[in-house]
Amino acid sequence: MALRTEEMLLNVGPQHPSTHGVFRLVVKVDGERITEAIPVVGYLHRGTEKLAEDLSFTQIIPYTDRLDYLSSMLNNYALVQAVEQLMGIEVPERAEYLRVIVMELNRVASHLVWWGTAILDLGATSPFIFAFRDRESIVALLNEISGARLTYNYMRVGGVKWDAPEGWIERVKKFITVMRKHLKEYHQLVTGNEIFLARVKNLGVYDAKTAIAFGQSGPVLRGSNVKFDIRKNQPYSIYDRFEFEVPTGETGDVFDRYMVRMKEIEQSLNILEQATEQFPEEGEIQAKVPRVLRAPQGEVYTRMETSKGELGVHLVTKGKSDKPYRLHLRRPSFINLQILPKILLGRSMADIPAILGAVDIVLGEVDA
Amino acid sequence: MFGILEQDFSWLNLLIMISVAVAVMGVVLLFVVYAIYFERKIVGWIQLRRGPNRVGPWGLFQTVADVLKLLIKEDVVPTKVDRLLFLIAPIIAYTPSFAIIAVIPYTESLYFADVNVGLLYYGALSSITITGIMLGGWASNNKYAIMGGMRSVAQMVSYEVPLIMSFLGVVLMTGSLNMREIVQAQQDGVWFIFPQFLGFIIFLIAGNAELNRTPFDLPEAENELVAGYFVEYSGFRFAFFMLTEYVYMFAMASLMTVLFFGGWDAPFGLDFIPGIVWFFLKFLMLVFWLFWIRATFPRVRTDQLMGFAWKVLIPLALFNVMLTALLHTLGIYSGVN
Amino acid sequence: MWGIGLLKGLGFTFKMLFQPKVTTKYPDEPIEMPNRFRGIQHFEPEKCIVCNQCARICPTGCITLVGKPNPDPEKKGKVIDTYDINFELCILCDLCTEVCPTEAVVMSNNWELATYSRDNLLKDLKWLDENNTNIREENV
Repeated sequence: MALRTEEMLLNVGPQHPSTHGVFRLVVKVDGERITEAIPVVGYLHRGTEKLAEDLSFTQIIPYTDRLDYLSSMLNNYALVQAVEQLMGIEVPERAEYLRVIVMELNRVASHLVWWGTAILDLGATSPFIFAFRDRESIVALLNEISGARLTYNYMRVGGVKWDAPEGWIERVKKFITVMRKHLKEYHQLVTGNEIFLARVKNLGVYDAKTAIAFGQSGPVLRGSNVKFDIRKNQPYSIYDRFEFEVPTGETGDVFDRYMVRMKEIEQSLNILEQATEQFPEEGEIQAKVPRVLRAPQGEVYTRMETSKGELGVHLVTKGKSDKPYRLHLRRPSFINLQILPKILLGRSMADIPAILGAVDIVLGEVDA
Repeated sequence: MFGILEQDFSWLNLLIMISVAVAVMGVVLLFVVYAIYFERKIVGWIQLRRGPNRVGPWGLFQTVADVLKLLIKEDVVPTKVDRLLFLIAPIIAYTPSFAIIAVIPYTESLYFADVNVGLLYYGALSSITITGIMLGGWASNNKYAIMGGMRSVAQMVSYEVPLIMSFLGVVLMTGSLNMREIVQAQQDGVWFIFPQFLGFIIFLIAGNAELNRTPFDLPEAENELVAGYFVEYSGFRFAFFMLTEYVYMFAMASLMTVLFFGGWDAPFGLDFIPGIVWFFLKFLMLVFWLFWIRATFPRVRTDQLMGFAWKVLIPLALFNVMLTALLHTLGIYSGVN
Repeated sequence: MWGIGLLKGLGFTFKMLFQPKVTTKYPDEPIEMPNRFRGIQHFEPEKCIVCNQCARICPTGCITLVGKPNPDPEKKGKVIDTYDINFELCILCDLCTEVCPTEAVVMSNNWELATYSRDNLLKDLKWLDENNTNIREENV
């Protein structure tokens, strides 16, 4: 006698403690097995791209802060890089070094938040607090240089706004040593933990071909054994002056993506060390740009590597105006999450937090 | 206790028994209040923060404030629930936890009921709580509650088996189910944690799972199911479920002290410190261990949890029992007959 | 041996029991912000020349200002009559202080703006003038 079973339609989110923001996932479950998963996005849409048509380039910079609000220096740079390439502006040395230092600090901060919240979703409450202790030091450093803790509004077309205050570079160097020690402790706490390993190994596996077909980028791509990092393959800014490795994962499961991000924190610390060593003593922090930035007519697509993946900016201008005609952002979180329906099939409900933690989306970026 | 059960029935005796029971309940509730407080404090210290420290001196009245808040909340009984089951589920869950405490001996003279099958009474009653949890999940008429209730029942039933089996080694070595005699056997010989080390480890893990605590707290997984089987309960009924968990912690910790650590026995012959203090210290050790684990480990997934119970713990517990029986028959361990 | 990772984790958390705590005692002790912190604006009406640059550059359009001809018949130019900042829209990005040629509007380091009603969030000239503690020194 067959038992009559029914499929249940469950809504994970938009208000949910573990979906990293207002993200909704409609799942059809059969008991505990997921038969279909449909992500529904748009709960945080603020119309950045449309608003940008009416704002001059300097005015768009605070809006880019709020895309991926955990790594806002990186987003600032994406926009500024596009305008500089369009107008052919060259950035002075000291400004480039300052940019690299704050960008890598922000990358470490973003990965720390990822670490804390991913492990929190799996049930351990302590790593979250430890991660935020370290993030507090980074945020205090960035507060000293730019005047804000989360949305920095620091870069300008042609350079940066402020110079580093007294002793800031020494403080960054001290932070690097402290962070290296703490990183070893984090590995001791979580990475060897058998419960954690049983939870994440062999979960959400997809190979390199699928990853490239879905247009993934960033640590989710590198976890599937594809060695592609825009800082190495198509270097921008002064990244070609630093030596660092690009970590990849072998099998493409959640644990590999976890290790890729932890190793990326280490590599960012290496870049920071080299950048603070090579930091020029004096220099301009902003190139000579006109007060009103009129861009010539043209179209440009620039890309850079943020903590989530490849952030591309497509900028179209129709000369004689200081506002763009169209600004489009290729947002990595939005594209990376398209693989969710494929890897959630057949798994149990308890795997959703682990897989969402590996994909690491930030809703500000998903919805723009 | 105090020989009352052997005397004839009289109203005075009844009154004495009831007031002693109320006094014990007061002590247990005091323990619960300060266990919650210290849990938050210790987990806070591990996480480099201070824990509650604003309500009362050093935050000592924090739990009192929380319980008061729960008591004065509106008693929301949703319309479409199965009303009778909804209302009695917390009571079914809570009552056995308090009934178990009657058989635990604290010192040589301070005990309530010298039941010859004390351990069996413990194991039997602690299973009734599972019914209460299942009823609570079912009666709530809520998808999440049902899922949480089913998971919780599956987990607790699976972990009862290795828990009870881990006692069997101790029973074999003592030859009786009476808790006082178990402690006396340890006083004459060596504490049972040393010969029964495997049983002790199994007890720790299975006990943790019975209490629905991290790393086995999937039924209460806030991140996944938004509080599982008691999502529809509010106010005092929710407090009942929380109370059940902490009173079980008291019962489990005292059971561990009696079975494996020698009860009120003083180590290294330090007899001048009274037995109740030793009991208390050993009891606190297990409670600290539970808090420590909670702060460190992530959660185990349901199917892994069940696999772990049936494929790892039960064979190990069986092996432990067989080994003890073998060694006992061969006369190597000369416990009480 | 299975379980070594678990024990190492336990050892780490036990060590953390004895480390100094990182809790700050806000609001009993105020939080110190560095001097460059972008807090609520401070406005000095004497310095304003009503050039309108701040209102034009604001990305969210939160500044509204009205000028009037100088009451002193000998001096030329305008003086400020009303100056409102709508703090429901202001994102404290400090572009307005960056473009102001006379440093009439500068940021302070105060940041506590929470009120019980939205009506209190439209700050006028008088309030911005009186908000003159912890003024930022560098105003690029």
